[in-house]
Amino acid sequence: MIAFDDVTVRASQSVLLKDITFSLDAGEKAVITGPSGSGKSTILLTLMGAHAPARGRVRFDGTEVTAQTVASVRNAVAFIGQEPVLGNRSVRDGLLLPFTFRANRDARPGEERISEILHGLKLPSDILDRSTAVISGGEKQRIAVARALLTGKNTFVADEITSALDETSNQIVLDLFLRPGITVLAVSHQGQWLQRFDKQIRIVNGTVVDVRHNRRGDT
Amino acid sequence: MSTRDINLTQLLIIYAMLAVPAAILAVFRTGLVRRTLIAIVRMSLQLALVGLYLQYVFDLNNPWLNVAWFLVMVTVASANVVHSANLRTRALLPMVLIGIGLSTSCVLAVFVFAALRPQPFYDARYLIPIGGMILGNCMRGNVISLQRFFSGIRENGKEYMSSLFMGATVTEAVRPWVRRSLTAALSPTVSTMATMGIVSLPGMMTGQILGGSDPVTAVKYQTAIMVAIFVSVAMGAWLNLALCTRVGFNEYGMVRDDIFRS
Repeated sequence: MIAFDDVTVRASQSVLLKDITFSLDAGEKAVITGPSGSGKSTILLTLMGAHAPARGRVRFDGTEVTAQTVASVRNAVAFIGQEPVLGNRSVRDGLLLPFTFRANRDARPGEERISEILHGLKLPSDILDRSTAVISGGEKQRIAVARALLTGKNTFVADEITSALDETSNQIVLDLFLRPGITVLAVSHQGQWLQRFDKQIRIVNGTVVDVRHNRRGDT
Repeated sequence: MSTRDINLTQLLIIYAMLAVPAAILAVFRTGLVRRTLIAIVRMSLQLALVGLYLQYVFDLNNPWLNVAWFLVMVTVASANVVHSANLRTRALLPMVLIGIGLSTSCVLAVFVFAALRPQPFYDARYLIPIGGMILGNCMRGNVISLQRFFSGIRENGKEYMSSLFMGATVTEAVRPWVRRSLTAALSPTVSTMATMGIVSLPGMMTGQILGGSDPVTAVKYQTAIMVAIFVSVAMGAWLNLALCTRVGFNEYGMVRDDIFRS
């Protein structure tokens, strides 16, 4: 499903990632860990086509991620960034932003689906009419998760998306991602994520130093 | 009625006033004195040369020479836009040349050939000064729009990439910055138009009145030129943003680092 084969990424003179190799099957969940600045987010950004590998190749669903195929990867993957970008208008506008783009226009969800997703994330329905400027960091992160879920995609790429969440919300988001049939590649330091995901990929200085497989149900 | 000439002594009196800002800038150590001095010398020399040149252009009144002069102005303005927007010439100059050239020449053509209709139609006395006014304003607007556009996307990379990762095309993802850049480019002209005649007496109108035109004619020219300026800034900014978007991003939709000068 997702595979990095010997991937090296450079920016100007520095090496951001070096010889990264790992893979994820469909439905598998992997968490990337490692110290700050080790290249965790760069791995996610490289999958999304923000960096072109200087060496090696990144594959998604069997197809190499190139300038020609990157659009289909972006259309198939729901990316959730560390700092949610919801715009400066209402939460509803932020939530429905992906559906203003041609690629998602036909997938615009109905009110019922929106309510269902918000309810699942313990978000009140009236949050939709509030300004994004007045909601909390935790609410923003949950709105970003809701937005990703609304796209109906089965692959999620998430970059420390629970940093501002309390224990209950963290649990809710984790349970949503642990559903069968969903592929997840996430950066996280949360103990629960490390324990309950199928795979832990540890990065230090842009290199994979350890890949550990968890047995589901260990917890 | 003819305009009173300014002789060298009178001009020197005007120059003498520069001692005041020079003193202020020097006291506050702004580092601007040297630059100001160079700018004043450049302005004086350039205007003196242009004055001499325009004398010949007006006397000859050759259509090809007029067009050539306009093209020189377009090239210099375009190079200035790219440079002042902190962008690299090689990557973006061809696009900006097309954007500025097309917008200003279309507006100038409507203004001079369709509306004003001087005899002969290529009369340098109309074509060159009106072209220069349109071009100068178009240039200023485009510096603002291109600078805001690329630096805005570079500084808010996460916001831009977020749209891209949600499935937006480059054209869709840059839309907020196109909107902000167009607003920034056009706002000064909108404000100028809104306060014109109350806060300031515009340069062209003042010049015409000093040159002996009656105020009503001067007002009509000023109104026409403001409309022409607004249209050319809007057209130029939109065209430049559309054209520069084609070359300012790599094949993955990321803004190219090598288009920035720093």
